[in-house]
Order: sequence, then structure tokens, then C-alpha cells
Amino acid sequence: MVRRVLALPAGRLAVGILSVIVLLAILGPTLAPHDPLGTSALTLAGPSWEHWLGTDYLGRDVFSRLLAGSRTSVLGSVEVALIALVVGVVPGILSVYFGQVFEWFTLRIADTLIALPFLIYAVAVTALLGNGIPQAMFTVGVLVSPLFYRVARASTLAVARSQYVEAALISGASIGWIARRHVWGKVLPPVAVALAQTIGIGFVVVSSLSFLGIGVQPPAPTWGGLLASDLGYLSYQPWAPAVPALLIMATVWGSNLLADAIRDVSGEAGRALLNSRRVRARRLDPAEPIPAGGVAP
Amino acid sequence: MTSARHLPSARRTRRGAVLGALVTLTALVLSACGSGSGAGTAAAGGGGGGKSATLKWASSFFPTHWDPVVSGSGAQFRILALPYASLTRTDAKGNAVPDLAESWAYNATGDEITFHLRPKLTFSDGTPVNAAAVKDAIDRAKSQKNSALFGDLTSIKSVTTGGDLDVVVHLTQVDHQIPLLLGERVLQIASPKAAADPAKLDQNPVGAGPFVVTQLIPGTKVLLKKNPNYWDAKNIHIDNVELVSAPDKATVVSGLQTGVYNFADLAPSQAKAAKAAGLDVFVQPGFNASNISLNINKAPFDNPKVVDAVRYATNRQEFVDKLTFGYGKPTNQPFPPGYIAYDEKSANLYPYDPAKAKQLLEQAGIKPGQIKLDLVISKEDPAAEIVQSQLAAIGITVTIKINKNWATPFFAKDLTFSLYGTTGRDSAVQTLTAHFGPDGPLNLSSPYEPEGFEAAIAKVRQTPLDAPDYPQILQAATRVGLQSRALVFTYSSPNLFAKNKAISALPANPAHIDWTGVTIGD
Repeated sequence: MVRRVLALPAGRLAVGILSVIVLLAILGPTLAPHDPLGTSALTLAGPSWEHWLGTDYLGRDVFSRLLAGSRTSVLGSVEVALIALVVGVVPGILSVYFGQVFEWFTLRIADTLIALPFLIYAVAVTALLGNGIPQAMFTVGVLVSPLFYRVARASTLAVARSQYVEAALISGASIGWIARRHVWGKVLPPVAVALAQTIGIGFVVVSSLSFLGIGVQPPAPTWGGLLASDLGYLSYQPWAPAVPALLIMATVWGSNLLADAIRDVSGEAGRALLNSRRVRARRLDPAEPIPAGGVAP
Repeated sequence: MTSARHLPSARRTRRGAVLGALVTLTALVLSACGSGSGAGTAAAGGGGGGKSATLKWASSFFPTHWDPVVSGSGAQFRILALPYASLTRTDAKGNAVPDLAESWAYNATGDEITFHLRPKLTFSDGTPVNAAAVKDAIDRAKSQKNSALFGDLTSIKSVTTGGDLDVVVHLTQVDHQIPLLLGERVLQIASPKAAADPAKLDQNPVGAGPFVVTQLIPGTKVLLKKNPNYWDAKNIHIDNVELVSAPDKATVVSGLQTGVYNFADLAPSQAKAAKAAGLDVFVQPGFNASNISLNINKAPFDNPKVVDAVRYATNRQEFVDKLTFGYGKPTNQPFPPGYIAYDEKSANLYPYDPAKAKQLLEQAGIKPGQIKLDLVISKEDPAAEIVQSQLAAIGITVTIKINKNWATPFFAKDLTFSLYGTTGRDSAVQTLTAHFGPDGPLNLSSPYEPEGFEAAIAKVRQTPLDAPDYPQILQAATRVGLQSRALVFTYSSPNLFAKNKAISALPANPAHIDWTGVTIGD
């Protein structure tokens, strides 16, 4: 699957962007040239060699704060995606096999969760469970899990009702074996698409919440928080909000691009797409050696 | 093969969707511009017509309570002064001058004062403004269950009426501060008929002030029109007031620029933008002072050495430099330097000395990092981050906690460590008792008061305001108050406002917003 995604230019671009962001999240705090919390007398300064992106209202280095803030955003969005995955996929697959009562209840729960506005709910939960990104992201993860529930259930249904699975069942195959042999391979690609997309959603949610000052205790830097504080000093640094905004946009774009690439290369359609590209490439290939051969000697 | 053909078409729809989104975005931007310019012309029309002058005020102090007894002496009083008049008001020098009371006189001993009301005045519901109405207002402030003012009225024993227009206030002690006290901050007078139901009054203000409320949307917006029966109506040149709760501080300037508002209080960080937008940015004189509030009834501040360490660790200049954009002043007292009660002799009390602060912690046997504190504040505030970094420098770890419901634990004195500030009081004695008195709303360590404070305050009360030694006696009381371990004062932020140039200059009454004589021209 990874090799197939990398075969597409969009896939390579998406993986490139996301790897840079992940590297930032891992190394950001160590790469930061200054203490992201260290104040100085030099406030709201413009970009310079000492401070690449200038300083903020308390004289802290903005570049260091951006680097240090990447971890919160990345961890938050990954948390949303993983919680949604676990909470959504398992009951999604089981709803096909565990009988009508279980199916009815999980469907109604999924419907209920879809009806709740997750951003507002996350704000409410932080008021209840304490002001922290993990609490907020846990809530958002649970509330977006119906996406995974629906995706996993739909692809499981398609497999479970197909003739070759029924044939295998008649031949005495166990449910566990069928799940491993047939269901898993069909469910995984759409779930991967949903996962990549949810990471993007998670990023927007983390940034929105930290923009609103929820889930983060000052002076901890976050991209959304930097964006929010920059807006208060626009007359001094009109360009300042552009950098965190671009970072947030690039990350979300990368996630969505990855989701697109996975969708394009998965299943029969994906195999056909890659084959057609290979065919086109082969048709072009024989033309190349001739001029190359002509020039080389 | 069919699916291979299907893919490019999917891509085409995606391209179509992007195009559609772009078109929608452009349309939105265009329509936003359209409505913006529309508001601009509407504002120009309203101002230039000359027929009705409308004040469009965006305030970040939108009152939650409209019963003056419940609202208290905070910054909201400036807005409540639109519908309510008080017994006295202050002039540009901060002296008490007549408002609803035409004149007043103390008895020979100074423990009784009689206010003579202006005749033939009515509240906006038609009830007469008489001695009984004033008595009702004072009694309510003293006894109503949710009164925010009773602590300020300890000098008042009882109130009687002498005829229809004379209010006689009997005092528990000699107190020459009463005319200043019963001004806009403490005694805005509501119609007794409306005040019979305080809960209703709280959402439907009825007073005898310069304006009458026509519509009130709690927490959001209030519309007022000029009160033709106000005693000084001939000097009020504003016909309508539209007051809204200010949105985010970063958007106030744009609102002023487009004419959505023509008057607003301004964060110092926005002054540059407001000036660039061609607005009139001005500082109204005032008595603002911000502080760090400590609760000495709780650890670690029950140890005087820790309190002293915090005092020496506070670098006031950093607050001024980073928060006030050139408009503020450092102060170590509950008012800015230059105020009558400001004690020059205490100006160098507890100067910034982090080495000494560390030494004090060491003497107390406290290791760096051993003290971990929650700094509880009501909303995001860069001042908290400054306190955090200054205390981190002496080895105290501070975690900032934002609690939207901050007021409840703060005024219940349940917090250990917080930030607060004052916009001052007309009576300097009230400022001092509010900070250092045993029941002062700004004293987080109630019922603690510094030793000798009560006696020093009593002495100020006994001194007539025009006595030659009044400033010395007042400053001596400040000196005693500053021994309080409950407060570390940091800086004085300015009363910064921005207005459309069509609005004439406001009277420079310190800490007040007075619309008398103000015109809105073209």
C-alpha cells in the first residue's frame, strides 16, 4: 500500500509534507534556537538573524515557539484519529456479526454522536474534565468515531454478504478466519482513507480549540494559540498570523492529499489506475534509449 | 477499464468543486465589502444629519447587573451612570459637586450630614425624586442580601427624612468622606417603585439620570434615549445611545473605523492601529492600579518570608513596558503616582531585587522549585505570563489556570493567588478600605488587615477634606495599608479610549465618563 501511494505524485507530496511535520513534532523542541518560554525586553520585533520570525508581545522568539508548538498539535490530531479508529472500527465490524440487538444499539449510538456538534461539545467537556488537550481530543475522537463505524460497517457488509465468503462458511471456515482472510483486506483501505482525513480534521480542531484558548495553559505555545495572540498585535506585526496559518493549512492539506492518494490507489480501481500508468510509462520507455544511446558514445 | 475511465471524471468533479468554492468565497468577500461600506454611509448619515446625535459605544465592561446596589463600585458604574443619577458627582479635580442633591451641610461635630435635594424632579417612571427615595436607596444598599456596597457604608448608622427634600444621614463616627462616597460609584439612585422588586430592577433600570433605557438585551446591547426630565438636560446634547458589549479587542478598531461604533474603550495594544485609522485616541485621567493578590491564610503565603520574596521578585517596569505600550506607569500602591493618597515615602518600598527574593526563600528553608502555585485568573492575560516568568526566576513554579467562573471563588476568598485591579474610587478612603480593610472586596486575605490600619483610616475620616494636613494624614493611612501582605501592586494601566473625531472632547473628570456638554457633530 505504501509503495502504491508513493507511486502517485500527490502521494509523494502528502507523505513529504506530513514527514516534515512529524519530524518537527519529534525534534521541534530540541531544534528551537531559543527557549520558547524565555521572555526578553525585545517585544514585537521584526524578523532578524537572531529571531527569524521576530518576537511576540512578551519578547519570546516566535520561530522557537512555532517549533515547540508543533508537538501539541500533532499529538492532539493523532489522538483524535486513533481514538476515533478504535471506538469506531471495532463496533463497526462487530455490528455485522453480533446480531440484531447489538446492531440496532450501535447504529443508534452512532446516529446520536453524529447529531452532536463536536467542537462545542469539546469546549463543554474541558469545563467538566479540566482544561487540557487530551480531554478535549478524547471527546472529539469519540464524537467523530461514527465516521469509522460507518466506513468499517459498510465495507464489512459488502464482504460478509458476498458469495465467496458464504461459500467459505459452508466449507466450515470460522468467523475469525474469515475476518482475517477476507474482511481485513477489504476494510483496511477505506479505514486508512478515513484515518488520513481524520488526522486533518483533528488538526483543525486542535488549532481551533487552542485559538480559543481551550485546552492549553499559557504560556505553552500552540499553533492556534500563536495565531490568536498575533491577531491582538496586528498593527505591529501584520504578517505574523501568516506563518502559523500556513503551517496549519499545509498540514491539513497534506492529510487530505494523503487520504485522496490512498483512495485512488486502493481496491480494484486503484490497481487499474496504477496499471494504466505503468502501461503509459512502458509505451514511452522504448523511445528514450534511442537518443540516450545516440548521445552516450 | 471502466474504473480507469471513471477516475479522470472524478478528478474533473473535484476541480469543479474547487472552482465552485472559489466562486463562493469571492462572492462572500464581495458581499462583506458591500455591507461594510453600507454601514459606513449609514454612520456618516447619522452623524451628519444634525437631527439626532447617536452615541454608538462599544464597551468591554458591559454590566451584568443593572441594579446599582448589586453592580457595585467597579468600572461598570460608568455605564450605569447613563440611566441613574446620584446624590453627588465629581468635577475635574475629583471634588464632590451637586448632582441630585443641590447642596449639603455637616453638623458641628461632623457625625451627621444633611443633603438638600433639587425640587420637582422625577424618575423616568414618574415617581418623584424625594428624600424618601434617597433613604430607600441607602437602606437598600445597606441591607439588600446581594448588595455589593454594604461594606462601603459602615460609617452610616441610619437615614431619616427632614421634609420632602432633606435627607439626614446619621453617622457612626465623624466622617468627612460622605459627599464623595455617595457619588456615582456608591449611590446611584433607583426609583423606589421599581426597586420594590430588585430582581426586576436588575434587568429594567429606572433612574433619574441623563438617559432612559428603551431596550435592554442582557449581556449584549442596550438602547437609551435622552431623558428630557433630567435636571441638567439642557447640557446633554446626545439624543440616543446604542451601547454594545465589545467583541474581541482586535476588532474594536475596525468597528470604529467602519462606523459601527463611534466610541470605545481601547486596549493599549490597539492604540497604534486606532491612531493610524484616523481616530481620536485619548487617555481619560484615572486611578487605575493592577495588583497580584495573595491569600495569607493559605500556604505558602502564610509564611511572611514567601510574601516578601514575591514582593522583591516583582519587576514593575516589565509590566509597563510589555502591557501598556507607553501609556502606563509602574506603581507599588493602589493608585498611580501623583494621586492625592499616593505616599511618596513608600515609593521605594520593596524594590525589584530578585537576589534578595531568592535569599529570603533560602532563609525560609525553601528550595528552588519546591513551591508550586496555581495562578487563577478569569481570562487570558499576558500579565499572568509576566508574573509566571518573574517568579520562575526566583524558583517558584506558577501554573496559570483560567477559570471563567473566577469571580465566585475570588470574592469568597477561596483562591490562594490571583490577579486583579481597580479603576479607583472617588473617595480615597474607600479605595484604601476596599484593598486593605477586613471586608474589602480586593483583599483576598479577609479578614486580615494590617496593624493600625483601622485607626489610621478613622483619623482620615475625621479630617475635613479641605484641612491643610488632609493629604499628610491620608498618605499616612496609605503607608499603614501598604504593610498589608495580601497585595503586591504592579502597574497603572491607562483609561484609554478611542472616539470618532465628530464627538467633542469629554469632561476630564478623573475615572468617570461624563457626557455633559459633549456634542456629536459632522
